[in-house]
Amino acid sequence: MNPRPPSVVLIGQPNCGKSTLFNALAGLKAETSNFPGTTVKHAHSLVNVEGRLLQVIDLPGTYSLNPCDPAEKVALTHLFSEKPDLIVNVVDASVLSRSLELTLELLELEQPMIIALNMMDLAEKKGIEVDIEGLEKRLGIRVIPIIARHGRGIKDLLVAAFNCLDTGCPVRAPRWSADIEERLSRLVAELHPATCVFGNCRFTAIKWLEADRSFCTEVLTEIDASLRDRIEAAKKGIEEQRQAPAYEVISAERHHLALKIFEQTSRVRRAGRLSWDKRLDELLMHPVLGYPILAAVFLGFFFLIFKIGSPLENLLLKPMSHIRGDLAALLGQGLAFHIADGLLQGIGGGMAIVLPYFLPLLVLMNILQDLGYLARAGFLLDTFMHRIGLHGKSVSPFILGFGCNVPAIVSTRILESRRDRVITSLLIPFIPCSARSTIILALVAVFLGPAWALGFYFFNILAVAAVGRLLTLFYREPSPGLILEIPSLKSPSPRTVLQKTYMELRSFLRFAWPLLIAGSVVLSLLQFVRLDRVLNSALSPLVVYGLGLPKELGITLVFGFLRKELSLVMMLQALGVGYGDLLSVISPPQILVFSVFVSFFIPCLSTFAVLWREMGRRVAFLSAALSIAAAMIFSLLVRLIF
Amino acid sequence: MSLDQAPQGRALRIVSVQGGEGVRRRLLALGFRVGAVVEVNARGILRGPLLVKNLTSETSLALGRGVARKIQVEISTNEP
Repeated sequence: MNPRPPSVVLIGQPNCGKSTLFNALAGLKAETSNFPGTTVKHAHSLVNVEGRLLQVIDLPGTYSLNPCDPAEKVALTHLFSEKPDLIVNVVDASVLSRSLELTLELLELEQPMIIALNMMDLAEKKGIEVDIEGLEKRLGIRVIPIIARHGRGIKDLLVAAFNCLDTGCPVRAPRWSADIEERLSRLVAELHPATCVFGNCRFTAIKWLEADRSFCTEVLTEIDASLRDRIEAAKKGIEEQRQAPAYEVISAERHHLALKIFEQTSRVRRAGRLSWDKRLDELLMHPVLGYPILAAVFLGFFFLIFKIGSPLENLLLKPMSHIRGDLAALLGQGLAFHIADGLLQGIGGGMAIVLPYFLPLLVLMNILQDLGYLARAGFLLDTFMHRIGLHGKSVSPFILGFGCNVPAIVSTRILESRRDRVITSLLIPFIPCSARSTIILALVAVFLGPAWALGFYFFNILAVAAVGRLLTLFYREPSPGLILEIPSLKSPSPRTVLQKTYMELRSFLRFAWPLLIAGSVVLSLLQFVRLDRVLNSALSPLVVYGLGLPKELGITLVFGFLRKELSLVMMLQALGVGYGDLLSVISPPQILVFSVFVSFFIPCLSTFAVLWREMGRRVAFLSAALSIAAAMIFSLLVRLIF
Repeated sequence: MSLDQAPQGRALRIVSVQGGEGVRRRLLALGFRVGAVVEVNARGILRGPLLVKNLTSETSLALGRGVARKIQVEISTNEP
């Protein structure tokens, strides 16, 4: 066996079904954990297929390979420096012509590669017939038709992949028009092999020609300053000959070649597309009707989660209080009881209070995402986003933030300007994520009524807008215009939704739940040695006099930094009552103050860490300061009003 | 005429794309190149974005008015 499993990189244009394929592969037999876009820059998974291990890496969708773009650079190091053993180019067969442009660019790398021709069903519906063998012949590599959503063709793809890994599959870069080829080969001849930093020399030369002036030239000057003039000369030659910028000329070369290959290998039987999705889309994006639909979607979202979560919670909480009573009778009030009680609170709290709301929220979020609704919300909300100095492209990260702030902050990479990224990343921690939704639903909706919870969300969105307004005062430069791709509507596939939910649930069970349990046990032990009183007394100026809450809650607020649900689980434990008896020790307005404070107070540890990693230390601390200030102001306001 | 003033639902051919290199590169990557045929499908209220479908590459984009103003089009006589 190899000491290191061969690495396989999945790459393709956005919305080509790459992640669906990745999940289908990882779901086969994922050997180790996988972190969908959270802890690493890309998802990767060790897959075991019939006794052979593969390291599968899912890169973010891209239209072209631009190593000069700082945002793309990180993801592309996998292609350039770490040289994967195999590239799997995922291609959406229903938009074959445009997808082939990236394929041609990948071929220029001359690394082992196969094509996963995805969405064959959609292509068929649109009347596109692809001559697979012809395509293989034209491109010189294997093409395997698949339907990742239904898991079809995955086996064949793996067979082809292993074939390529075992026996090798030579790839030859496509050739362009004679005049461009001539200039290119002249430049390649002048390159010293050490300067071919992006894969091979031909590819490097192309990238230098395509580069814009800003970033890549710096890299180039470091390597070889005299080379810069020769590249500029080659660029100028092309520009004079074709009367267009060099990057446009090269893009046009790929475009025409892709078009030619598409015409030679595909037949479109009937034009026009099936109309259900087109008509639905017209309704969803209607300039007027789109808005009530948007509102209805989010109201429905909220009520569905509450209506599923609340009865489930009641059902699961009943046995818990019984067990707790039995434990007390069995173990007395000693150390053993405290440890057992901490464990029970942590395990039970996670299961009975968090999961009933968390799980339906995950499922619904994944359905919305799979449907392609987020981009449509971006189109509709663009005008309003302009009011807070952003545009529609920030909508999708915001909506993702309702699930979890961490991937939402990672997804701000789609924004072109640093300014937009900073503002959006600073606003995302104000979006109530699933953890905070659990608190809002389990405390506010249950004890004050669903209308209060809805009001909470409304107020929360207003708060986001207000903070956004405030931030744009400090970041004055205008935001660049909106260019947002609207993917075609897809009926959500249960398979994809369940697979994604499973992955997210697994990461909750592995990371967050142990934290909840450990937190509860720590609090239990603190209570046993009576250290909790010391901490609570230290915090009481804020908790008791500032917020008007019971002194015992001080410590739970601090622990909320680790994980927001922890405050909720620990609250019951700190107050020493069951969930149903909560109102006997704390009043509804106090519940509201507590929820507001926990919800706004400091981004949780994972969010803070991802902010630091993605945006730098300054932004992370700025975000923490903003959150603390907002939590103080809003909870004091709530206390004064109610 | 510029794209933001073009009639809705007609096939339009892109004549030129102006603006900064960054915007032009991004539009190019999305298939909005000279010669491509596009169609305006919807216009957002309150000077909101345009929903533009590229009939050549089958890509739909939401374009801000500012960006749309930089794309010059003419009515296309023959469908793609």
